This record gives sequence, structure tokens and C-alpha cells, in this order.
Amino acid sequence: MKPPAPCALALSDLKQNERAVIRQCTADGLLKQKLLSMGFIPGAEVRMIRNAPLRDPIEIGIHNYLVTLRRSEAQMIRVQAP
Amino acid sequence: MTQVALAGQPNCGKSTIFNMLAGVNQHVANYPGVTVDKKTATLKHGGRTFTLVDLPGTYSFSTYSLEERVAKSFLLEENTDVIVNVVDASNLRRNLYLTFQLLELGKPVVLVLNMMDVAERRELEIDVGKLSEMLNIRVVTAVGAKRKGKQELLEAIAAAAREKLVQPFRIDYEELETYIARLERQISSESKLSRRWLAIKALEGDDVVLDRVSIDRASIEDLTAQIHALHDIDVDQMIAGLRYAGADLVYHKCVKEKPGQSETLTSRVDRIVLNRWLAFPILGLVIFLVYQLAIVWGYKLTDHTWPLLAAVRNQIFSLLPDARFIEVPLLTDFGIWMTNSVLALLNYIPIFIILFILIAILEDIGYMPRMAFILDRIFRRYGLHGQSTLPLVLGGAFVGGCAVPGVMATKGIADERARLATILTVPYMNCLAKVPFYTLLLGAFFKPDMALMMFFISTVTLFIAMIVARTLTLTVLRNRETAPFVMELPTYHLPTLKGVLLRAMQRVWLYIKKVVTIVVAVAVVLFVLLQYPGVAPEKMAQFRAEADTALADFSALAESTAYASHLDEPHKIHTLLNLYESYRTGRLLATSETAVAELDQRYEEKHPQLFPLLRPADPEARQLNRALRNLSNVSRSLQMQIKNEKISNSYLGTFGRALEPLTRHAGFDWRINVAFLSSFAARESAVATLGSIYEQGRTDASPEAVMAQDGTYTPLHAASMILFMILTPPCIATMVVVKLQTGSYRWMLFAIAFPVTLGILLSILLFSLGVHYGWSGLELMRNFYIAVALLALGLGLIKTKQSGWQVGKTH
Repeated sequence: MKPPAPCALALSDLKQNERAVIRQCTADGLLKQKLLSMGFIPGAEVRMIRNAPLRDPIEIGIHNYLVTLRRSEAQMIRVQAP
Repeated sequence: MTQVALAGQPNCGKSTIFNMLAGVNQHVANYPGVTVDKKTATLKHGGRTFTLVDLPGTYSFSTYSLEERVAKSFLLEENTDVIVNVVDASNLRRNLYLTFQLLELGKPVVLVLNMMDVAERRELEIDVGKLSEMLNIRVVTAVGAKRKGKQELLEAIAAAAREKLVQPFRIDYEELETYIARLERQISSESKLSRRWLAIKALEGDDVVLDRVSIDRASIEDLTAQIHALHDIDVDQMIAGLRYAGADLVYHKCVKEKPGQSETLTSRVDRIVLNRWLAFPILGLVIFLVYQLAIVWGYKLTDHTWPLLAAVRNQIFSLLPDARFIEVPLLTDFGIWMTNSVLALLNYIPIFIILFILIAILEDIGYMPRMAFILDRIFRRYGLHGQSTLPLVLGGAFVGGCAVPGVMATKGIADERARLATILTVPYMNCLAKVPFYTLLLGAFFKPDMALMMFFISTVTLFIAMIVARTLTLTVLRNRETAPFVMELPTYHLPTLKGVLLRAMQRVWLYIKKVVTIVVAVAVVLFVLLQYPGVAPEKMAQFRAEADTALADFSALAESTAYASHLDEPHKIHTLLNLYESYRTGRLLATSETAVAELDQRYEEKHPQLFPLLRPADPEARQLNRALRNLSNVSRSLQMQIKNEKISNSYLGTFGRALEPLTRHAGFDWRINVAFLSSFAARESAVATLGSIYEQGRTDASPEAVMAQDGTYTPLHAASMILFMILTPPCIATMVVVKLQTGSYRWMLFAIAFPVTLGILLSILLFSLGVHYGWSGLELMRNFYIAVALLALGLGLIKTKQSGWQVGKTH
């Protein structure tokens, strides 16, 4: 496993339809387990689909399916442009 | 008996596979102590009996959500012989993540590739033979919604149950394998489960497993820290990563994707349904349709079903012993009370059927999580969840819902704190049964301002609900477990008729079974509290004397007529009086001339001697008929007075009086107190009780008119009563579902005590202010409305430090 490169970009910073690769997950405990089990692992490719009408939460495409999560949680997933 | 557990990730179509296998032969129960449904079914195949258990949908066995805990503990505790792993064929890669964990359990696994039609539409070519070979287990293809693949699946289950264990595909955890092997040695060999699985779970720090294999948490934490230091590996992340890598490997070997595939239907629909500008109008339309179809049309439907129930009711009433002038037998009183209590609830069944069908359709289509997506931001401000929308709407966000389906619909909310807050908030919505009470008071005291008052009533509840939710989540619910808002938006599916009907009917049946039985029990208690200790003997003697005078007058009159021989004993007069009353009811119901003729014929045949008095032809009979009408009025008036005396003297009446010193400040006298107390059984009783207390024998005037003329109450009193009714505790039926959904009597008691306290305090406060400043009823309501609205908006604007789910987590 490569040591995670420092990345300034969070999942919540992506613009609509922008793609990125997950590098690191700074969450812990319950959220970390939830995210891992839903496929938010380093190396996974993600795509920002859209914001909710009120800008929060956001909709993400990952592993060929759609997930919604709040910005506060997406903040903890650091990504890198592919 | 072979036990088969059905496992799979959410949205893989597990329930359609279950329905396909089980048909209508299924049984729904709650897992012991939790609110997650357990569906079981027994089926026979090839001379063997299988018990099929539907486990809750789970993404993996590693997190702590309620569903995953339930699924895991089931696999730990029970003797499962075969695991059927349902997999969404169009989403194979992610689904394999769970499959690998199921394989690690060491039980025979049958993999069902469900939704093959969707996969075909997406032009995914799945090599089933290769998949079966790689995983080294049986793989069956199916389309659950179209009942395709049932036989093959049954064969595979039977074959898997028969044969010895094979060595299935195994994830290689690389550097971690040494540690897994070390933990395996520490685990005692008694367990039925695979030691490897237990060791992996232990390494993941799974509390349930650690408990079972008696390894303490601290040593695992030491171990993971050690691994981190030695190999620079985060254990959780590495395990998840390797499982996904394994899934990738299997996927690429077994599935061929057509490149450049076109946009899916789901993303095209979502572009409209979740559009920034269209999302809210569409959501509004959906909610309006649910409301219109279920509540408005369902209510209209009860106009057609009510006569059926009324016929049943009259049938029961006709079996009860007749009254003897003013003496109504206890059995008759009891029978009428119980019948009315149960029918009041059964009357709503058409509404529930439509409502549950619509909910099932929305669930199956996949719109529910999208609703949460759209509204989460607003609800989160008040400690609720995007998924709170539907429960609140069902509870009556517009005027007229029902808290029972509302509370039942909270089941899907993943966030425990938000779920409890929603359960405790739904009863504040305006339920259908509160409407008659409002109409009664508005009709009596707010005739010119009815529309405005109704607007206040119907919208203030939403603000109150938000304030209550916010207050509860900041106080008593502060430490409840919350869940991160990470939710799949499933692809859209067409619901199947059978699946929808099956689920709707199961929920209706659950309602009838649980709610009606408890309501019956409480109705008995209320009956006793309203009947006993009964009217004082001296008071009763007074009523009897009045009755005897009236009877004596009548028999004196009858003596001089040709009918004397039929009326020379009291019991004959009683019979005649009951006959007169039932005939009069019959006449009221007979709408055509032929119906009247039929009725006449029936009575004439049965009672040839007395019939001329019912339909008088000669002057003598006419005179007696008039006297009979008087006698009937006297009897009704006396019965009513006795009933009032009984209520006033009853335990509940005494309790109502005892509360008067307190409730007086809110403007409630004992009669109102009794009405509120009895409304607990079913809201309708509030109106019925008030009606019966106010009728006072003046049967012609409507209760509205009587209340308005009575002079005891002013519009200010009425506004205070409305205010209390808005906040009043949920009815018993709701309490039962609150108990079911929270799994605790303490929350049920809290759900009663909190609104009562709040209601009485606010009523006292506002009524006293109203008296002091000389407000009118409308002004009281308006001021209350403004205060509540401002408070709700204020609470919504204040940002607290709590971010997302992290506050109050238990781990």
C-alpha cells in the first residue's frame, strides 16, 4: 500500500460531473465503517452527480451506483483528480 | 427441517425473491426486542421442509446499523443450514463485497443473480458458469419480479443442503493472514461458525464477535496499532480494500460490459425528479397525490363502507336486551360502547389500505430515499431526517391524517435519534379524528372566522412539530445513537402488483391485530371508569318516581280505550315503547313508499294488536300515539339525565372534577376534562362525550347550538380547548404503534406525559393572558400562532456546533 499523498481536495469540493479518485478517508468509527462497506476505499473512482436542490446533501456516483451523503461527511473523504 | 437464511445488500430485490419462493405463505414478526421486520415462511420441496428467514438488507457485517446488527446476530445465534445470497446482477461488483463475507462464514451458500433482465438491458454479459467456478458455489439466475428461476433456485437450495461443505473462494488478506491465523488459534473450537470468519471479525474489532470469543477489545486495539506501526497498514481500510479488489477480479473475469453504454433510465428520470427547480414542485405533487388519494378519497370511501359497518352495528344492537323504560341493562350499555369503540377504528381501514398501497409503491419505485435527499437539509436543522417527510405527511401535515401509519412509516429511518424524534413528533399532526372536534367548536364559537381558524390550526401544528423535535433532540434524545447520512439512491423499479398488495395487506392486518386488541382492552377500562360507582340511590329513586308518574299517566289514558287489554301491565307498555322507537327509526331509514309499505307489513304481521298504535287510523289510536310520543320523550330525557348523572358521578367524572382547580385556569371545567380524558381511547369520543353531556335531553338542537347557547363558555374558552387539542396526547392506537416502533413502554409513557404537560401549561398561560388582556378567541389563536411560528423559524436559523451525525454517538 502506498502512503496516501497529501491532497487538498475533498469529495464535497467537486463540481458537477467532475471525476476523481479517492485517496484517503479521515473519518473514524461508525462513519468510517459505513463508508468502507459502501465502497469508499482508496483507489475507488467517484463522480459528482449533483447537489440537492438546497445544495446539501450531494449525490455521488461510485462503483456503478448512486450514493447521497451530507457535505459534512463528504468533507472527510479526500480525493485527487484522476 | 432445513433452515434457509436469505441475505443480500439493500435494493438487490431480496423481497421479490422471498415473495417468489414463499408466495402468500409468509409470516411477519419483529426480531425479538427490535423494530426490524422478520419475515419467515415454510415451504416444501422434494419431500423436505424448508424454513425461509428473510434477513434485513445489509451492505456488510461490519458496521453497527440496526439492520446489520440483527442480520449478524441471527447468523451467529441460529442454526442456519443454507445461506441464499441474493445479488443484483446489474450491480455485481458491489454486491460481491457481502458475498465474500458470507462465504467466510463456512456455510453452504447459493448465489442468486437477481434482476437479470436489468443486466440484460444494460448489455452486461455475465458468465454464470465461470462465476460459479470461481466462487466454487452454486449460482442461479432469476428475475424475482417475473417469478423466473424459482424451480432452479429450489433445486440448488436442496442440493446445497444435502452435500458436504466444499471449499469456496477465499479472499487472501495478504500481510494480515498471519494475524488472522494467530487469532484463529485463540478462539475455542466449540463454535459452530467458521473460526476464520470469527478471527477476521475480531480483527475488525467487531464487538459482538469479540464478546462471543472472549477476546477483549483492548488487545485487538493493541494489535491493530502494532500492525499499523509495523506495516503502515490501516486494518479496516486494508480488509475493505482487499474485498473490493477481490470483487474487481471476479467481476472482470465473469462480466463483459458493452463499451459506451447509453445513459440509464434512472439517470434520465433523476435529471427531472431531482432537478434543482423541479424537485420541490414534483415532491409537492407526490405528497399532494398521496394525501388526496388516501385521505380525501379514502375518507369518501368510508361513506360507502360505513353503512356496512353500521349494519353490523345495528345487528349487534338488536341482539342486546331492550331497555325497560328508563332502566338500560348494563349489558346493553356495554355492548353499545364496545361496538362503537371498535367500529370507530375499523372505519378507517379503507384509508389505511389505500395509504399502505401507496407507500409500498413509493418504496418499490425508489422514490423514498430521493425524498430524503431533497428535504434533508431543512429537517436536519430541527434534528429530524430527510426520511421524516413521509411520516409527518401521513400523520396529517395537512388537516386530516392518521398518526398510526405515520408512526409505522418511521421504520426506514436509519438515524436512531431522528427516528425517535419523528415518532414522538408525528402525533402532533392533525389527525382525522380531531377534525370533528374542531368543527364542533368552530361551528359553535367561530362561525365568521372558520376558514382563518382552520388555517391557523392546520399550519401551526407543523411549527409545533419542528419545535418539539428540536427540543427533544437537544435534551432527552441528546445521547441517542445517530447514523451518518450515507444512503444509496437505488435505480428505479416498476413495482409488482403482487408485492405491493402483499405488503399493504400485511401492514393492515398488523394494524387490526395489534391496535384493535389493545383498544378493546382500554375501552373496557374506560367503560368501567365512566359507569361506576353509578348514580346515588336517592337520586335514582327521584328519576324512578318521575318515570312512574309518566307511566301511570299513560296507563290511565290507555285504560279507557279499546287497547286496554294489551296495555294493562308495565312490561306490555315497555314492549310497546321499544316497538314504537324501533318503528320510528325504521321509518326514518325507509326512503321510498314501497320500503314504508314493507316496513308496515312486517310490523303488522309481527304485532297485529299493537300495530294500530304505531300507525293510528282511528281517533282513539291517534290519541294514544300522541301520548306514546310524549312517553318516549320522557324516557329519552330521563335516560340522558341518568347517563349524565352517571358520568358526573363516575370515577372519570370525579377525576375530571379533581383536575378542575388546575384546568380552571385554562378555562376547562370538569365536563371538558372528562371529554379530553375519554378522547384518549379514540379521538371521536371527545365529541361524543361532549355531545352526550350537552344534549341534556334537548335532542332537537345540534351540540354546536347547545354549546353556543349554554353561556358557560366563550370563544376564548373554545380557543384554549382547541389549543389543548392540538397538543393533546396521541390516542391509544397511536400509543400502541409508538410502543411497537420504539420497543419500549417508557417512550410510550413519555409520548403521553410530554404533550399533556405542554398542552396544559400552554393552555393555562394563553388563557390567563387572554383573560388579563381581554383577548378574543381569535386573538388568542393569532398570538399563539405568531409566537410559535417565530420560535420555530428562530430555532431553524440558529446554527449549533453539532455537525452531522457525530454528536451523541455511542461508540
